[in-house]
Formats: sequence, C-alpha cells, structure tokens
Amino acid sequence: MPPASAEYARKGELIASWCLGKEANASNPVRLAIAAYLHAAGIQAGYTFFAPNVPNHHQLNLELFYDGDRVEYESPRVHGRAAALRLDSLLDRLADQRYEPIREVIVKRLAFSVWRKHPDVKKVRATFGSINPPGMNEFEQGQTETFQPMFSFDFSVRGEEQQ
Amino acid sequence: MSSPTSDAAKQKFQPLHRSWQRILSFLFPSENDRWLTVFRTGLGLQVTLYALFLRNDWHNLFGSGGRGLVGRELGEAISSFDSPFIPKLGWLIAAGRNLNMSEEAVLTVAWVALLSTGCLLLLGLLSRPAAIVAWFVHLCVAESGGLLAYGADNFMTTALFYLMLSPLPDRYSFDHWVTKTKPKKSQALGFWRRVLQVHLCFVYFIGGLAKCLGNGWWDGSNLWRSLIRPPFTLVPPDLLVHFKYVLPLLGISICLLEVSYPVFIWLKRTHWIWLGCILAMHASIGLMMGLYLFALVLIVMNVAAFGVPNTSSTAQARSGDTNQ
Repeated sequence: MPPASAEYARKGELIASWCLGKEANASNPVRLAIAAYLHAAGIQAGYTFFAPNVPNHHQLNLELFYDGDRVEYESPRVHGRAAALRLDSLLDRLADQRYEPIREVIVKRLAFSVWRKHPDVKKVRATFGSINPPGMNEFEQGQTETFQPMFSFDFSVRGEEQQ
Repeated sequence: MSSPTSDAAKQKFQPLHRSWQRILSFLFPSENDRWLTVFRTGLGLQVTLYALFLRNDWHNLFGSGGRGLVGRELGEAISSFDSPFIPKLGWLIAAGRNLNMSEEAVLTVAWVALLSTGCLLLLGLLSRPAAIVAWFVHLCVAESGGLLAYGADNFMTTALFYLMLSPLPDRYSFDHWVTKTKPKKSQALGFWRRVLQVHLCFVYFIGGLAKCLGNGWWDGSNLWRSLIRPPFTLVPPDLLVHFKYVLPLLGISICLLEVSYPVFIWLKRTHWIWLGCILAMHASIGLMMGLYLFALVLIVMNVAAFGVPNTSSTAQARSGDTNQ
C-alpha cells in the first residue's frame, strides 16, 4: 500500500478497535458482550487466508531417547486427514510470535501425546522448525525443501529443561 | 390542507425519505425460500461430513490434557480471556458431571448431536431446533479446539449462525410437509439472504485486497507454494511444473476475482460469470488441496446467496410494488 495510506490505516484500526470495545477494561461487560457476539457469529478473525503470502509449513520433530542410547524419531500423529489439517494449523500458530508464551506448554503436550504410546522412553527432544519449500525453478534443478530449526525443548521423566 | 411551511419541509426531506426507502428496499427485498432450502440442506451436509471426518480423532482432539493431543483447556482459557460468555465444551462437560456422565460420554454425545443435527437439517426435520443445536455444539467444539481450528470453522459458525436466525422451515422441508406451516414473510427471507450476500462481499473484498498486497500472488509463486505445502500436496509438483506459465495468470485472476466480487456479483451481465468463477475456485481448492470442508461451506454460502434465482412470480410482483 502507498506510504500515505499508513496513517489512515492506523486511524481506521483505532476506530475499529474502539467500536469492538477493545479500548475498554478487560472486565467491561460491553467489551465481553461484543467479544461473545463476534465469536458466536464466527467473525472474530479476519479473512486473510494465504494472504498476503503463503506462510512456510512447520514441523515438530521428536527424538525419543531410550535406555542404552537407542533413539527413535517420531512426530505427533492423528488418524484422519481432517484432523491432520488441524494439527498443521496448530503448528503454524506456534511459529507466530503471539503464541510465544504458550509454546512450551503446547510442545510439551504434543510430546506427551507421543510419550503415552512409548512409555519406556526416558527423554524426548522436541525440535520445532520451519520448512522452506524450493521455488519452482529450484525444484526443476533438483533442490528439495529445507528444515530450519526455530527452537527445541528437552523433556525428561523427572522434569524438563529448556534449550 | 397542508400549510406552505409543511410542504416546504416535505420537499426538503424528500431526498432523505427516498434514500431511506431505497435502503429499506435493499435490505428487505421480497424473496421466496428456495435459497433457504439450498442453505439448509448444504449446511446439513456440511455438519454431517464435519462429524464423520473427525470421528476417529474426536476424543483425541477435544479431550482434556491427560488424554487429548494438546487438551482443550488451553483453547478454552484463550477464548475465556476474550469473554467468559463464549460457549465451550467445558460447559457441556461440567453439566454432564452433574448427571454423573464422564468426559468421554459427554464428548460422544456432542459428536452424536452434531451428526444427528446434520442429518435433521438435510431432511428439514425439526429445522430450527436442529440449526440451533448444530450452531451451539459446533461453536463449543470450535472454541474449545480453537488452537486447532482453521478457516472452515469460522465460516461454519457464521453460516450456522445465519441459518439459525433465518425464517425456517422452508417449504421443501419435512417440517412443512408434516405441519403445513404457512409460508414465511418474504421480506424476512429477503433480509437474511441480503445479510449473507453482504457478508460474502466483505469476505472476498478483504481476502482479495490482502492477496493483492502479496507479491507472490502476482508471479504465481504463492499458488506453487500453497499446492506443494504439506498436507495439501495432492497434485504432484512435477505436474505443476508443466503449468508454470499458467500459475501467474491464475494467481492474478484469483486476486482480481476476489477483490472485485462485491461489484461484479451484483451486475446482471457479470453475475453468473463471477459466481461460476468463484465456485470453480472453491471446487479447485477442495479437490487440489484436500480442503473439502472449507470448499463445501463456501460453495454452499455462495450458491445460497447468489446462485438461486428468485423466480417466484408473487415475490417478483411484491418486489415491484416495493420498488415503486
């Protein structure tokens, strides 16, 4: 957008924010009622699917450490394709800075969901990262996607430590 | 007899009055209920498929922390932070606990309720109660699983919200056949269809504008990236390479189609072209990316809003009256 429009966009955002009661106190009944209505009508979020650009895909790799230095590799799994889309949506959210405060909790729970199926695992290393797909020309030259680690956590039976 | 002053006042306010009448006739056009039949049956199919597609993962997705994938408590806490009045599965589970029902049992009941309401909507049996229950249960599920939600959930909530408020039952429903209810007011039918139409115009304009701002839609790279992005990889990348000169054209077409939707969907000459292109776009998204529910809900909304001609002669006559 032209730079001149930035000021108008900011003013528009402020007006919209005021109309939606977001400037009011968090416990203000009007704000709470508006928020409830927006959620009830399914209009609490914007309509910018795959816009302005298609984001990178994200992946959570789990290294399962057993006794005797045995290591297995796993990822959180679901049964159906519809659920896989949802899991994918969750992983994409984790990359968003807004979800930073709950990243560790979510990764821990995802790791725990895998751990339940492998109860003899002693330690789990969860590595979250972004998958950069090749461009079309790069693909034609034989390049494949690359994994870019973003953060990782180690979880053990007794406790957990962050790396 | 009216005084010269009141005549002058009337004349002064006449344009205002005319504008008001125009707004009213735009908001409350006379309509028959065929669009509502399409909307009801389409959403019935959507809700049924939604329940069936998630049947094997239901407890895993929406169970609590120790049992589910991430546990629904986090999603519920986030939506409660927005407002404690937003319905969630936790409410149903707390209510079930009072009846000595386990969490698993309540989740199963919620799944059965969704599947049943979907089938009831398809048949048009107990249309309004089914629409209300479907909206409520789906909203609970979408909010509790908010972290796992994607675009299809928002559109389903919106569509079910409008369906629940629309003047059900329609004349092709089982309810009408059983109870022989009188046809609903055509203006109320027209109003809710108009709401749906205006809503879609906002959706496409905002979506199209946001896409226009991304350079990847102008050179086709966003289409490439979206089609090779797991888990949407249904079309082999080698096949896409064969169409590499078509992708920029398609990307630009999508931007222009969406951003101009609020204009060209209303014009008689372009109405069917725009509707056909939008439906083709959603069908392609469904088939090429596997986003079946996302595609279906938008196809249903578009067909109900703009794809059912209002051919009722009475409605047309009434419409003529109101326009005069």
